[in-house]
Amino acid sequence: MQVNLMEFWPRIWEATYQTLLMVGISLFAATLIGLPLGIILVVTRHGGLLENKPFFNGFSTVVNFFRSIPFIILLVAILPFTRLIVGSSIGTAAAVVPLVIFSAPYIARLVESSLLEVKPGVIEAAESMGATPWQIVRRVYIPEALSSIILNLTIATIGLVGASAMAGFVGGGGLGDLAISYGYQRFETDIMIATVLLLVFIVQITQTVGNFASKKIRRQ
Amino acid sequence: MIQFENVSKIYQHNDSELRAVDQVDLTVHKGEIFGVIGFSGAGKSTLIRLVNLLEKPSEGRVLINGEDLAKLTKPDLRKVRKRIGMIFQHFNLLESKTVHHNVAFPLSLSGTPKKDMNQRVKEILEFVGLSDKAKQYPEELSGGQKQRVGIARALATSPDILLCDEATSALDPETTKSILRLLRKVRDEYGITILMITHEMNVVREVCDRIAVMESGQVIEKGSIFDLFSKPQHPTTKNFVRTVMENDIPASILNGIDERDSSRNIYRFTFVDESAGQPVLSQIAKKFDVEVNVLFGQITELQGVPFGHLVVELQGEDPEILRVINHIQQKVAVQEVTSHAG
Ligand SMILES: Nc1ncnc2c1ncn2[C@@H]1O[C@H](COP(=O)(O)OP(=O)(O)OP(=O)(O)O)[C@@H](O)[C@H]1O
Ligand SMILES: [Mg+2]
Repeated sequence: MQVNLMEFWPRIWEATYQTLLMVGISLFAATLIGLPLGIILVVTRHGGLLENKPFFNGFSTVVNFFRSIPFIILLVAILPFTRLIVGSSIGTAAAVVPLVIFSAPYIARLVESSLLEVKPGVIEAAESMGATPWQIVRRVYIPEALSSIILNLTIATIGLVGASAMAGFVGGGGLGDLAISYGYQRFETDIMIATVLLLVFIVQITQTVGNFASKKIRRQ
Repeated sequence: MIQFENVSKIYQHNDSELRAVDQVDLTVHKGEIFGVIGFSGAGKSTLIRLVNLLEKPSEGRVLINGEDLAKLTKPDLRKVRKRIGMIFQHFNLLESKTVHHNVAFPLSLSGTPKKDMNQRVKEILEFVGLSDKAKQYPEELSGGQKQRVGIARALATSPDILLCDEATSALDPETTKSILRLLRKVRDEYGITILMITHEMNVVREVCDRIAVMESGQVIEKGSIFDLFSKPQHPTTKNFVRTVMENDIPASILNGIDERDSSRNIYRFTFVDESAGQPVLSQIAKKFDVEVNVLFGQITELQGVPFGHLVVELQGEDPEILRVINHIQQKVAVQEVTSHAG
């Protein structure tokens, strides 16, 4: 067990940067996709603003289908698709594609559950005032649920940090990759400990920031 | 004006069907405060939601100022809904917005210019007595204040009709009174037609001009407050009247009557309107040779008019008592009380 300090820190920083990059981009893209999907789930469900049973059932099944695939399998299964999108099937950018596909349906479900927390009476009040479905989504559902959506996005982010650790499989790099390829496979325990501590730190910070933002946003 | 024409709302429950509202015929006149009272599950909420088409009638029609909302396109329906305010038992305010923005919400839906909007919100908050709370959030308010915000929000678009679904049921008696006073002020100053549903008799007694009693989806009795209080027909109506007016003679008094001889002359005098102001008893005592003994009584007020009854024992010769009854029947309703008749 010997540590080459000259290599140690630069490698850690690089991996941290890759992790943050992967998580950040994936979170952004997955939210962009998951938020509307969650809204669609809520408005088309039974009793929703634009109730549509067949559509909801089909759509919900598709979301469940994607959610039931383990990330590691998804990662491999969609390699051709990834190549099509980013032009390569390895590297950090290539890791983002499966991360997005993995977490967008998850975020859709989280957003759905947040929106369902809005009291039906409040929605009904808006309807009784002659609000259009779109006005209700934009001006009632989202602002009323925003605090809860942010908390749920925090959970999704932490899930992404975990999933991104598997990105080493497609050469995505990041802290998880570092921990496995150096710490685990080469028995460099120090690196393993350092990366794990860093991951713990990132998760803690994410949760703290999420809690704070959620509380702050409850009343703009 | 709101007209229910033979309206039913049927819910399908697996194989059976439930008539939540069953062939209701009602007319609520312009500028009137109309109350619908009924026990839980009677179909009151369903009935009121039929007015702004939150529920579609399964049969019959609901006409608002002569117009059948079920025939309108969605955009037209939304336009009409802006003319029908609604308030709720649990207020249903936007928690993430201040009082000001809650009240502004219905105005902003139709793109009212900011200046007009702020002006209107100020005006209406003043009307409901919450000018100083504009910047606060709903969760910082008491129940009564929240309902005032609800009322302000419902009135912001100057509707012709205000629907109140159990608007005071979550409030204490004092706060209930102040909200009811506010509703009356809404009607008196803006001439808005108010349809309110409740399960509390003292609420309708306080503000309603006319009421309908609902049970199992049907209107079982309707009329002026006075008619329903003085001559309730249906047992359910009688039950409701009893919640605010003790009509039965207490058991202790009835037992007292029972124990002694049955030849005693006990009568119930029902006072309605101006008769309550007349010195009936002292006139009897002066004009006739009888003793008057008051056993039990209750006088209450219905919309500022006294209403009540007295249970009185008349002691004297039978012919004289007969003359008393004949005399007094011209002024109040008289009913003989026997030990079992209550
Ligand atoms: N969407 C619905 N689907 C099926 N049944 C319903 C629905 N809404 C109401 N009902 C039924 O219709 C009946 C009347 O309900 P409603 O809410 O109108 O009663 P209510 O008089 O307002 O009672 P409460 O005083 O408890 O509010 C009840 O038996 C209820 O279960
Ligand atoms: Mg109800």
